[in-house]
Amino acid sequence: MPIVQLHHVRKVYDSKVAVDDLSFTIEPGTMFGLLGPNGSGKTSSIRMMIGITVPDSGSVSLFDQPFDRRMLARVGYLPEERGLYKKMNVLDQLVFLGQLHGLSGAEARRRSHQWCERLDIAEAIPKKTEDLSKGMQQKIQFIASLLHDPELIIMDEPFTGLDPVNAVLLMDTLVELRRQGKAVLFSTHRMDQVEKLCDNIALIHRGSLVLSGSMREIKASYPRNRVHIAFAGDDWFLRHPAVEEYKLYPGYADIKLRPSPTLDQDSQALLASAIGRARVDRFEVTEPTLEEIFIEKVREASPSRNGRELSMAELEQPTRSELNA
Amino acid sequence: MHNVWLIARREYIERIRTRGFLITTIMIPAIMAGFIFGSTFLNSKAKPDTRIAIVSSDTQLALDLQAELQPLMRGSQARAVGHPRLIVDAMDIGPDTRSIVDQELASGDLDGYLWIAPARTPGARPTFTFTPRSSDQDAMRSVLAGALSRVLLREQLAHRGIVAADADTMLQPVEIVAAHLPRHEDHESAQVSVTVLFFLMYMVIMLYGMNVARSIIEEKTSRIFEVMLATIRPAEMMAGKIIGVGSVGLTQVAIWLAAGMLLARSSMVTRLAGHSLQITLTGPQVVYFFVYFILGYVFYSSIAAALGAMTNSEQELQQLNMFLVLPLAFCFIMLKDVLETPDGTLARILALIPPFTPLLMYLRVCLGHPSPLEVTASIVLTSASIYGIIWVTSRIYRIGVLMYGKRPNIMEILRWLRYS
Repeated sequence: MPIVQLHHVRKVYDSKVAVDDLSFTIEPGTMFGLLGPNGSGKTSSIRMMIGITVPDSGSVSLFDQPFDRRMLARVGYLPEERGLYKKMNVLDQLVFLGQLHGLSGAEARRRSHQWCERLDIAEAIPKKTEDLSKGMQQKIQFIASLLHDPELIIMDEPFTGLDPVNAVLLMDTLVELRRQGKAVLFSTHRMDQVEKLCDNIALIHRGSLVLSGSMREIKASYPRNRVHIAFAGDDWFLRHPAVEEYKLYPGYADIKLRPSPTLDQDSQALLASAIGRARVDRFEVTEPTLEEIFIEKVREASPSRNGRELSMAELEQPTRSELNA
Repeated sequence: MHNVWLIARREYIERIRTRGFLITTIMIPAIMAGFIFGSTFLNSKAKPDTRIAIVSSDTQLALDLQAELQPLMRGSQARAVGHPRLIVDAMDIGPDTRSIVDQELASGDLDGYLWIAPARTPGARPTFTFTPRSSDQDAMRSVLAGALSRVLLREQLAHRGIVAADADTMLQPVEIVAAHLPRHEDHESAQVSVTVLFFLMYMVIMLYGMNVARSIIEEKTSRIFEVMLATIRPAEMMAGKIIGVGSVGLTQVAIWLAAGMLLARSSMVTRLAGHSLQITLTGPQVVYFFVYFILGYVFYSSIAAALGAMTNSEQELQQLNMFLVLPLAFCFIMLKDVLETPDGTLARILALIPPFTPLLMYLRVCLGHPSPLEVTASIVLTSASIYGIIWVTSRIYRIGVLMYGKRPNIMEILRWLRYS
C-alpha cells in the first residue's frame, strides 16, 4: 500500500509554475528523498501533499485513498520554516500540538516527556520556548511532528542549523522510525546529506521531475568513473590520459575519468602512475555523487548550456538568458 | 469543532496568564475612574466664588439689592450642586472708588461691579452699568437685572403705600415642579452609566480587534502557521482565534462590570462623586450590552483578521488600521447627538448601519425607545454583514497567512477572493 501518491500534479502561482506534472510514490518503511535546489518546488509539492494548498490539476492520494483532511492526523510535518509559539511553555506547546493531532491531553503529556528524554532535552520541558537555543527549539519542533506517532513523516530541511551531534541524533531517530515501518519523506537541497539514507529519491528542478527511482539502481546505472585520491608529493599523475577533468585541493584531488569500456583498468593504471611519484594515502573509485548526477541531468535537459560547467548555485535562480529562451 | 475549541482555549489561557491582561484589567477602569472623578472634581473646584461689588451713592438701594441677592449668597442647595457662591459687597462712591474697583477687577479680587449712577432728573431711574471681569459673567448681568427690578418694584410699591409683607407675597416667584415619566426618573444617571458602557465597548472592541490582528501577524512572523495548517483549516484557526481573544475581552468586561456594580453600591463612590453620578444599571442594559458587544467585536475582529493576514508587520498594520478606527471613531463623534436625541432621525438611521449598530443601537436601546422591529433589524443586519465579512476574510486569511514578504495590492486580494 503506497503511503503517498502524487499523480501528474501541477501548481501555478500567479505567473510562476511552481510544480509541473510531478508524479511519485512513497512506500511504507522507506526513506524517500525529495531533492532539488532552493526554489525548485519541494515545499510547494509538500504543501499540496498535506492539503495546505490544492493542486491546480492532478491528484494526491494519502494512505491509498484520495486526499482527505482526516488523514492528516496520521501525518507528521516538520516545516522548513520552523514555527513555535515563543511565549509558550515547552510542555504546553507540545501538548497543544499533540491535541491538534488527535491525542488526548494526558497522552500528549506522557509522550512529550518520553520524547524529550529520548532526545536529551528533558531540562527544557518547564522552560519558555523563547528561552531555548535555536537548536533546542528545532528539537522541540521535531518532537512536535512525531508526538502523534504518524505513519508518514515529512521533514523539510530537517538538519539546517543543527550541530553534527544533534543532526546524527535526529538522523538515527528517523532511521529507527523507518525500521518500525514508517514512511519518511526528506526534502533537502543538501544531497550529500541524504545520499546514504534514502531508499528512493525524486530529483526535481524548476518544478519538474528530473530523475526518480531507487537510489541503488540509479547509482548502479552510472559508471564508477570518479576517483578520490589523497596523496603527498608530485601531482603529475593528473596528466594521465585516462583523466577527463579534475579538481585539485590541498592534499587530495577529485578526478573524473574519460568514458571508456575499460574503466576498471584505467583507474588501476592511474593508481600505478600516482604511486610512481607520490605517496598515496587513500584511493577510492566510486559512482558519481547525487549532486553530480543531478547537474549532469539538468545539463542534458537544457542542451543550450552544454558547453559550460553548471554549479548548484547557478541552478537555483534562472538567469535572464534562460528566461528569454 | 474540536480544533476550534483547542485553538480558542490556548489563545484564552495564554492571554489570561500574561501580565498585560492584569495591567489592562486594572488600568483601564482606573483611567476611566480617574477621568470621571477628575472631571467632577474640577467642576466643583474650578469655579471659585463670585465676588461682585455694588457701587452706589444711594446706600439704601445698594443694601436692598444686597439683601435681594442674599439667597444666592449662601444658598445651601446651590452649594451642594457644586455652584459657586456669590459674594456681594456694597460700596459708597468716593473720589477714587472707580480706580479702586478697576484695580480689584484687574487683580481678580472682584469678578465684576455694578455701578449705579444717580439719576440726573429727580423721579427718573438711575443708570446701571455692570462691568464684568470676563465674558462668562454674562449670566450675572441677568441675575442682577432680575434682582434690581424686584428691588425697584418693591420700592415703588412701598411708595404707593403697600405694606412690605404684602409686597413680598406679590413678588413670590412661581415655582414649577419638574415631573418626569417614570422610566426617565433617573435619566441622568442612566445616561452616565450608559456612556461609561459605551466607552467600555468602544475601547474593548478596538483593543481586542487590534489584538486579533496583532496575534495573526505574530504567528506569521514566527511561521507557526505552516505547522498549524498541516492539521487544521485556516477557517478553524481564524474562528478559534477570534473566539479565544474575544473571550478574554468578555472576561475582562465581566470583571469590570462586577467590580463597577460593587463599587457603585458602596457609599464611598456616592459620596465622592455626588448623588448625580450614581451608577445604575438595569438587567436589560447589561444583557443588551453583551449582545451588542459580541456583535461589534465579531464584526471588527473579522476585519482585523483580514488586515492581519494581509500584512507582515505591525508597521504595515498601522497603515491599514483606519479601517477599524474610522468607523469606531465616527460612532464616538455621534455620541453626543445620539445621547441628546436617541430617537431622532439621524440616530435611527445610523443605528441601523452595521458598522455603527453595536455602539449606537446600544445607546438607543438604553436611552431611547427603538421599536422592537428596529432592534431586531439591527441585529439581523449586523449578523448578515458579519457573515459576509467572514466569507471574505476567510478567503483572504487562507492565502494571506502563507504569504510572506510583500504586501498584496488590491488586484491580488480580489484574485484571492475568486480563488475557489
